[in-house]
Amino acid sequence: MSDSQKANDDIERLVVASQAGDKGAFDQLVRLYQRRAMQLAVRMLGDASEAAETVQNAFVRAYLNIGKLKQTKRFEIWLLRIVTNAAISQRRIAKRRKERIKIANGRGENDSAVSPVDKQIAEELKDAIQQAMLKLPKNQAKAISLFGLKGLSHKEVAEIMDCSVEAARWYVFRARQKLKVLLKEYL
Amino acid sequence: MMKDEKEKIDLLFQQNAAEQLAGVDWDELNTAISSRLDETEHSKTSVRKHATIFRIAAGIATAAIVLIAVIVGINRPEGVKLQNGRRAVVKFIETKGSALVEIKHAGGKGKAVVDIGPSRIKLVKCDVRIIDFNGKRPKTDQRPSWIIVKRAEPLFADNGANTDMVDIMCLF
Repeated sequence: MSDSQKANDDIERLVVASQAGDKGAFDQLVRLYQRRAMQLAVRMLGDASEAAETVQNAFVRAYLNIGKLKQTKRFEIWLLRIVTNAAISQRRIAKRRKERIKIANGRGENDSAVSPVDKQIAEELKDAIQQAMLKLPKNQAKAISLFGLKGLSHKEVAEIMDCSVEAARWYVFRARQKLKVLLKEYL
Repeated sequence: MMKDEKEKIDLLFQQNAAEQLAGVDWDELNTAISSRLDETEHSKTSVRKHATIFRIAAGIATAAIVLIAVIVGINRPEGVKLQNGRRAVVKFIETKGSALVEIKHAGGKGKAVVDIGPSRIKLVKCDVRIIDFNGKRPKTDQRPSWIIVKRAEPLFADNGANTDMVDIMCLF
């Protein structure tokens, strides 16, 4: 038996045990998949703290619904779908939060240009990506984030998005077109 | 779109993701998730406990309602006189086809033919024809059934004093 097959069997065992109500088994799944979930959430939201909130919500949803998962071998795909949906919900919260900050600071949308000089480039890039991702329609945001996630085939991306591979590719194409405009200062 | 631009966008995303993830304390995140799961488990248990209490309370309430309904039913006056030309509430014993209702009206004892139809409906408004107690049976294809009036309190104004037609509301 190959190492990857053994790992898959172990994961399946943990999923089955979680379905039977073993919280310890689910905790192990959390440890195994929290990095993967964070990678996706950060790509979708551009910000680690928003992503961390999303990942927590996603694991709670997964915990509550794991009994409904029929194909236990497809746990990762199922979990990533939950993460993308949780990230879409988080986008709404992030948008509102951004609006509140803007109002509180009395700043306009393009005021990032007059931000403090000591602001790090990384911080500016994070803000720019976050703003750009919030402006993308949800399917485009999902597609561009999932396509960039290592180890996912186009078919799996389409499965997570519940659409055809062609449609997923189209969303990526459209997302890149928009990001080209939104992130032109960084290209 | 130029391949170069496409790659640059992907690179920006990778760069940002790497920088964002570099600052993540994975143990802290794991603890936060575990804590959320514990809270969820606790609230699930709490909901289950409350659901049990609610079910018991609902059972007691239902039993109390049934008990009250039985007591009220037992104490309900029967055989109240039905005035001719008035509406009344009657309870049918037979509920198939036409039914014959025995009632007491102002002019004495009488019978009423009620067409209750084939369907078993809960509440129906019927036209009742008062017939002579000693008269002939109505000439209909369906045999009439005897019905005892359980309650006959006048509810509405009549249709006219010089007619022997009565509207009654029938509960069955």
